Amino acid sequence: MNNLTKMTRLEIVVPARDAPAIRELITSAGATGYTAVSGVSGIGHHGQHSGSLLFNEYDTLTMLITVLPPDKASELIDAVRELLNTSSGVMFVADTYVSRPDYFQ
Amino acid sequence: MSLILRAQVATAAHAIVSAWPLDSFIAVNPLAGRESHPFDTATTPHAATARPVSAYLADLQRGRITIADLEEALLERIPELADQDLPIGGTTVSAASVAALDMQLVAVDQAPAPVSVSTLSWVDEYLAVWVATYLCPDPVWPMPHRSDGFYQAWHALARLGPSLPRRVRRTLTTFPQHPDTALARALERLNITAADIPDVLRTELEHLPGWVGHIKWRAEHVGDIDLVSYLAVRFTLRAALGLSPTADQTAQAEQATQTSAQFWVRAEHVAGALTHSRPNREDIAAVARMLATHPITHHRHTWQKAYELNYRTTLLSQLRGTGAAPECPKVQVVMCIDPRSEGLRRHLEHDPTVETFGFAGFFGVPIRFARYQARGAINSLPALLSARHHITERPARQEQARKFIEAGKFRDALQHAVHTADSITATPFAFAETAGWFYGAASILRTLSPRGHARLSRALTPSPRDVVSEVTIGDAFTLQERAAMAETAVRMMGMTQFAPLVVLTGHGSESENNLYQSALDCGACGGNPGRANARAAAAVFNDPEVRVLLTDRGIPIPAGTFFVAAEHNTVTDLITLLDRHLIPENHSSLSRQFETLQRTAADQLVTERATDLPGASPRLSPARLRGRGYDWAEVYPELGLAGNAAMIIGPRTMTRGVDLGRRVFLHSYLTQLDPTGTALETIMTAPLVVAQWINHQYYFSALNPDTLGAGTKTVHNAIGTLGVISGHSGDLRRGLPWQSVGLGKKLFHEPMRLTVIVEAPLARIGDIISRNQVLRDLFDNDWVTLTAREHPTAPRHTYTTYGWKLTAITMEGH
Repeated sequence: MNNLTKMTRLEIVVPARDAPAIRELITSAGATGYTAVSGVSGIGHHGQHSGSLLFNEYDTLTMLITVLPPDKASELIDAVRELLNTSSGVMFVADTYVSRPDYFQ
Repeated sequence: MSLILRAQVATAAHAIVSAWPLDSFIAVNPLAGRESHPFDTATTPHAATARPVSAYLADLQRGRITIADLEEALLERIPELADQDLPIGGTTVSAASVAALDMQLVAVDQAPAPVSVSTLSWVDEYLAVWVATYLCPDPVWPMPHRSDGFYQAWHALARLGPSLPRRVRRTLTTFPQHPDTALARALERLNITAADIPDVLRTELEHLPGWVGHIKWRAEHVGDIDLVSYLAVRFTLRAALGLSPTADQTAQAEQATQTSAQFWVRAEHVAGALTHSRPNREDIAAVARMLATHPITHHRHTWQKAYELNYRTTLLSQLRGTGAAPECPKVQVVMCIDPRSEGLRRHLEHDPTVETFGFAGFFGVPIRFARYQARGAINSLPALLSARHHITERPARQEQARKFIEAGKFRDALQHAVHTADSITATPFAFAETAGWFYGAASILRTLSPRGHARLSRALTPSPRDVVSEVTIGDAFTLQERAAMAETAVRMMGMTQFAPLVVLTGHGSESENNLYQSALDCGACGGNPGRANARAAAAVFNDPEVRVLLTDRGIPIPAGTFFVAAEHNTVTDLITLLDRHLIPENHSSLSRQFETLQRTAADQLVTERATDLPGASPRLSPARLRGRGYDWAEVYPELGLAGNAAMIIGPRTMTRGVDLGRRVFLHSYLTQLDPTGTALETIMTAPLVVAQWINHQYYFSALNPDTLGAGTKTVHNAIGTLGVISGHSGDLRRGLPWQSVGLGKKLFHEPMRLTVIVEAPLARIGDIISRNQVLRDLFDNDWVTLTAREHPTAPRHTYTTYGWKLTAITMEGH
């Protein structure tokens, strides 16, 4: 597809207090980076979630997005599933395509 | 490296609450990891969540709990009892009264006392020494291999030390050098199956909970250690020693169970007490059906609920809304929501021209603050936020600042020389021989005349506070940000008018030889004194450009209004005005009047507090009472937030003129200034959450002084600024020391969950709760109770999982 390289994208939404553990897994998996969006809002299994709060970053939701080669993604997906087995949060996994694969190796 | 194993460690540590270091002590709910579950299911062998039944029975005897409280508590916990009446012995009795009678007759404790921390295994003792050595290294004798990480340093050094048998040391050499692989290898050698790994990891983390909590904090904030490396050491050691991890002892909290026969005997006793004769089978069966809804294991939490209801009923009956605010105040004092402010606000308001407000002590200005030319900086903001805005001081008088810096350099050099002479292995004896007489004399002075010693110290050690300066708030926040912070503060506090002088009063505590001083400082400022935030907020409000923007947003601040920063010393109760050089000439007279006024209020309050303060007496002079702060042998310089039990969010007219006994967090709020509800949501998701952390820190430290509290201060040893241990080794102590909650063997802190009282539309409160998980957890799971009314004449309602319920006190016509 337009000389793009296939990668795996993970989007993980967790309470901000659990984000450090996810970030640690992402970096341990060999991902070269991630994007964090704090204060995301929505409705899910546990009900409604307000967006960003003025004086509380600890009790909001954070979305972490990372892109990595499919061979590295598999183990990270399993690890995040393990973590989400006992705590709240969701993970979305999708194929994605990047123009500069060396940034993600 | 196995990512799954890392994830399993993170899962095992999920419920562990991070423990902040001692120099920025943050009160936390030690059971915060269980807030998503009902409060009464949080009991573990290490944590009691209610007192023994015998304590509640004693409260019943002395009237602290009444039968009405007990029945109301039963109705709150088991709403279906409300519609039940039992025909017994020819008459009809309410189900709640039958259950209440049962609770008095079955006066046994159903839960074992929490397990003491003194039962540390050899592995725990060994690990505690290594973790302490690694995290608090000797400055002149660095730990080899420390930069490689905890596991790597231990792996390299433990093989050389004599504390392990030679065979074990040889075995250690066969383990990998990387913590992840070492942990996996150790689990394999210990024959832990994949299915058992999560439970085994969780159980192992329950040992040394103090160090584990601190490592969790450190992994996120410093990064030189994490729980994987800690567990790698533990399991590698176990594998080398051939010590299998202990079985999970916490999964099932021991609870008394009743046999069927005992249950029927219980029902017979209750029926007999009701009929005053030998009951028939129908009566016993009717009672038994009712008792089945309230098992004996639930009794302690019903007692606790009744204990709290008694306080709540009394508090609500006090709030009659008789205190009108002054129409044209000359001075407005904004103080922290901290319960200690309540006393001072009450005494200041004896002057009818004074109006006071309660607001989070960081005044909505989250900063990382460094004093002028200082080495370190403090995060002066709630632990719920990250520090992003750095501010410092700009001296107003360069020559004075230069002299201060020179004096500071000389003092630092002197202190460094003394510290080096004191620390290096070869010199302490020679140092003691030559300088010991001086230290001896200073110690005698400090012991016999604490106030004299303090005066001398102050004279010899100029404080950075003496440097005339301004905070650099303009460099850290844009104009729009500053205007937004000011608008938020005004709307959250419900300030509808501005007096000529507005005093923004942070607070701090000053005492000697007190490792827990940080716990007495401002929780909203990250366990630091709030003066930097007060100075920053005053600078924001006095900024003419900010005022122009505020006027555009419908908040005109008169040109004649000046905001001055101040600090409330919670040991002396004196308020000190800060940045006095900024006070305009036309406000100096009013400032002096306020200083006179606050001195009178402070004297009244310090005398009032002497009634409760161990070793003090109201008969002593205020100066003598204040001298306790300088006494290095004083373990009760003040009582901190002991007694905290409630939080009121609403206008001061709800509470003005009412003595709340310094037990209530007071946050000002006015619905009319908050049309969108944003301000209330901010209050409920931030100050309320912090108040709840503090409340539960006190609650659990009082109920579990050995496991969730820090035990007595008198045997504490500091591990740098990380924390304290009791004696010479062992776990890092969590929570508050016994001296924060008790005296002798008795508690002076009444452990009660936070009662929150709000004056705002019920629908708005309900919406805010429903869209915030943290509030759903706290209110739906009974960690905090909530009572609200829409306006001063509306009936009060209590929040329940079934919706709003008319509060009993209203129905009784109080």
